[in-house]
Amino acid sequence: MFWQQLVNGLTLGSTYSLVALGYTLIMGVLNILNMAHGEIFMFGAFVGLFLMTYLKVNIFVAMAGAMVAGALLGTLLELLALRPLRRRAVSDLAPLISTIGVSIFLENLALKIFGPQSRAFPSGALSGVQIQLGPIRITLVQIVILGISFCLMFVLRFWLSKTRVGKAIRTTAENIETANLLGINTNKIILLTVALASGLGAVAGVLVGLSFNAVEPTMGLSIGLKGLAVLILGGMGNITGAMLGGLILGIAEVFTVAYGASSYRDAVAFGMIILILFIRPQGLFGSSSRQGGRF
Amino acid sequence: MDVIFNQYYLQIAIFVFVNAILGVSIYMTLSTGQLSLGNAGFMSIGAYTCAILTVKTGLPVYLAIPIGGIAASFISIIIGFPALRLTGIYLAIATLGFGEVVRVIVLNLTITNGALGISGIPTLGTKIGKVLSSLGLSKGFGGLSAQQTSTLLVLVILVLILAALVFFCTRLNRSRVGRAFAAIKADESAAEAMGINTTYYKLLAFALGALIAGMAGGLSAHLTFFIGPKDFAYNRTVEILTFAVLGGSDLIIGPIVGALLLTLLPELLRSASEYRLMIYGALMVATMAFRPQGLISEETVRFWKRKLGRRIK
Repeated sequence: MFWQQLVNGLTLGSTYSLVALGYTLIMGVLNILNMAHGEIFMFGAFVGLFLMTYLKVNIFVAMAGAMVAGALLGTLLELLALRPLRRRAVSDLAPLISTIGVSIFLENLALKIFGPQSRAFPSGALSGVQIQLGPIRITLVQIVILGISFCLMFVLRFWLSKTRVGKAIRTTAENIETANLLGINTNKIILLTVALASGLGAVAGVLVGLSFNAVEPTMGLSIGLKGLAVLILGGMGNITGAMLGGLILGIAEVFTVAYGASSYRDAVAFGMIILILFIRPQGLFGSSSRQGGRF
Repeated sequence: MDVIFNQYYLQIAIFVFVNAILGVSIYMTLSTGQLSLGNAGFMSIGAYTCAILTVKTGLPVYLAIPIGGIAASFISIIIGFPALRLTGIYLAIATLGFGEVVRVIVLNLTITNGALGISGIPTLGTKIGKVLSSLGLSKGFGGLSAQQTSTLLVLVILVLILAALVFFCTRLNRSRVGRAFAAIKADESAAEAMGINTTYYKLLAFALGALIAGMAGGLSAHLTFFIGPKDFAYNRTVEILTFAVLGGSDLIIGPIVGALLLTLLPELLRSASEYRLMIYGALMVATMAFRPQGLISEETVRFWKRKLGRRIK
């Protein structure tokens, strides 16, 4: 029972981590909260679903398609809603509100295009193959989710720390003006970061859609709020924090459901962040020297 | 008479004023530069306290609404002590989290009737209607039907409450407290160095905002006959926030104008109702891109004063 719940928690948590990584990347580079992230996640889930239902592609191609669609949406978000705000000095709240506007727009666009009903993935997608490992029963879907999310997380980590572009992103996160002076095209880097974060969010959408086997236009909001919780839990703009925070939240939620208060499941995330904010506002893994700490 | 005072227009006017009161509540916390996204949570506490008091204990509405506000304010002080150590986005997320926790708790308690919500709340309109008929005015008054008269009176009450709030806020702004708020908004560390007890004033603004939101919650419960946990979810918070954002949060008139526009806009766009919320979202993005300080800022007021002043000469 315990080990089984732990696996379930890890699976759920790894999708939260992927969502939170999107928030973290944008938070780290631009220092803003992207409230439209949940809706990009939802669009990603729909794109994956339609690719699999109508074009009958396999799950990995569908995820790649969702990632491209998410990256495109992210590009649009940056060009239409974020860049115009950066040209003039505005308060911190302006981008927050602008992205809230985008999220309202996208959610209602999805309701208009896809309709309010929840859709399921085609049955052949990943059949309910189960593997028995001692006391644990793990489904193929769970393995795919765990594999893909951990793969993406480690690739991202490596890419950020070792490659030239990753270095440029980290420099931009440290200080945009200085990065500009050093000859980095920060606009390009920011565009890349937003697109990348959105692409990750879209893949997470497909994964979450697979694990619940339900995709609906309103799924963005609840997962978006969870992602925010993870962001706080792990420390803002901290990639390791986002990864571990997501896992912690997923496990905490699954155990809350398994051992008692199932109806309080959604309160766990926010109860936890309120507690964290009061005890350790910089997050579990943030450095104490400043709020957050970058990458 | 019937054309102007038809039930539909009156109802919209009532929503405009409730939303304007909510706009004032977020203005209150924003006037110290704190972004609180917990207003829907406080509204929920006020609405439920008030509705439970009137439905289950039969307390009169005019007592229940202030009690609801005080309850919200009390809770805000409890969470405010630790929460106000946070600033900016951290406070926004913490208060957003608070709102979600309130929603989940309301969803699970038996006294709040869970997801079903509380229905059969006596509306202000019917209460006033009863008073009117006991005064022998059941046929209506001055060419208006009884229902219209009572709705109109509800509207008058709301106008009076809003006017009182505006009066209170403008007086507050000129007082020692208001100057302290403005100093904290401009620069918190500098304000502290000047000897202002920033924690106290921030908490005061937070509690006042919660009080107003709680009372608005109580009012809305007694205007709509029914409240449920979904009425006070994330969407509501965002809605309240947009009043202040669109209207501008420098001056108290800003959120009120924002509430007016954003409540009327969906009604005007009813012919395009399928695209209504999409337009709403696009409008928010456009406002931020072209006029991030909101429609009305101090400069706007100065500009019009100068312009109108010249014309008078």
